[in-house]
Amino acid sequence: MDSIEIEFLAEKAPVTIVPNFTHDKLYLISGDVGPFTAGLPVEVPLWLGINLRQRGKCRLVAPEWMDVEKLTEKKEEEKQSKVFTQMPCEHYLIVTQLLLSSAPEDIPNAQQIKTLVKDIWDLRISKLRSSVAEFIESEGTHATLDRLTLLEINSVRPFLPHAFDQLHRLSKSAHGSNLSQTTQDIQY
Amino acid sequence: MSDNEEDIIEGSDEEGEAMTASEVLQKLEEAWITERMSPTLEKHQSELVDCMLDQINQMSENLKRCKKYDFRLAIHKMEIDRIRYVLSSYLRVRLEKIERFAHHLLEKQTNLSNEDLSILSPQEAAYAKDYASSLEAHFQNLVLQHVPENLRTFDRGKMSVKPNLDSYVFLKVKQATPGVLLEDDTGEGRDEEVDFKEGSQYLMRYKPIMELLQSGAVTLI
Repeated sequence: MDSIEIEFLAEKAPVTIVPNFTHDKLYLISGDVGPFTAGLPVEVPLWLGINLRQRGKCRLVAPEWMDVEKLTEKKEEEKQSKVFTQMPCEHYLIVTQLLLSSAPEDIPNAQQIKTLVKDIWDLRISKLRSSVAEFIESEGTHATLDRLTLLEINSVRPFLPHAFDQLHRLSKSAHGSNLSQTTQDIQY
Repeated sequence: MSDNEEDIIEGSDEEGEAMTASEVLQKLEEAWITERMSPTLEKHQSELVDCMLDQINQMSENLKRCKKYDFRLAIHKMEIDRIRYVLSSYLRVRLEKIERFAHHLLEKQTNLSNEDLSILSPQEAAYAKDYASSLEAHFQNLVLQHVPENLRTFDRGKMSVKPNLDSYVFLKVKQATPGVLLEDDTGEGRDEEVDFKEGSQYLMRYKPIMELLQSGAVTLI
């Protein structure tokens, strides 16, 4: 899967906006949105929120987890823990990038948040890399990847599944040739 | 109001429950991801596809009629584009797999006793047949006609490419399933039994979880 497709999936995540217009409910195929009242917050899908912001029709509200203190705590937690911790939002990196690129003024401490999220991402990716290396060496047949987000899993595609495929094929044929050697021995 | 559309649609479930448009869309997106990630062709979801196409056409008709509200128009159009993207990506990945595994799928199709178990939709089955026969005709005209008599046969069995069911896939568990048996077919006797907890994610071979995928206990990510 491409990261652009994961962005597509992330764009369905709900985000709170404060519209500057009034309108009644919108009956979208993917669900009802609204009604919109100027000045009152309303929840919409991310793709809609970003579009409205770009046309100047609303103001974006930072999600609850996008807060300097909370993110700093999360980063510490991630640093201390040997395994992966639960992320506040499945698509934290994508949501951060989209919100900050379309409306940095709406989010308080935008620059700090950007740095913090990037740091968390880097920490998790380096943990992933080292555990992948360990795992291939240990020759396991399956891996548990709880609490890993989609974008992180995608960063090791197609390398990781491919590598396992090849290992599996090699071990299968190694065993297969052992069998045929035995029959040959019996025959001769 | 041009926006009032039928929200409840007769989606064909086994229980005959009506599904709302957003549920159909959700299921279609899941089917899309599963089809992208799976090494083999999954069961066709032509009901979901047809239902979504209907929805899009209905919505486009409504939009044509109302020209004034520029802002609503743009939003609905964006949504239609998003849905169309999912639909075309889904159908495209299915077509790619049909072309790759054409002979294998046609063999399976002829051995099928029950129409409901068919993996190909009727249009896809017709496409697969046409593709296979065009391919054979092409090879005949290009090469086989011009080679000596004894090499002229076209061996269907050798042409058929089987999907690699031992491919590794990422999956997420939707329903807790204790005691999933992962057979080790390298013959080293390393069979393992794993307890699937709800919400956990794994990387493993496609074959052992094939049935769980079909029953909906796991989903590919």
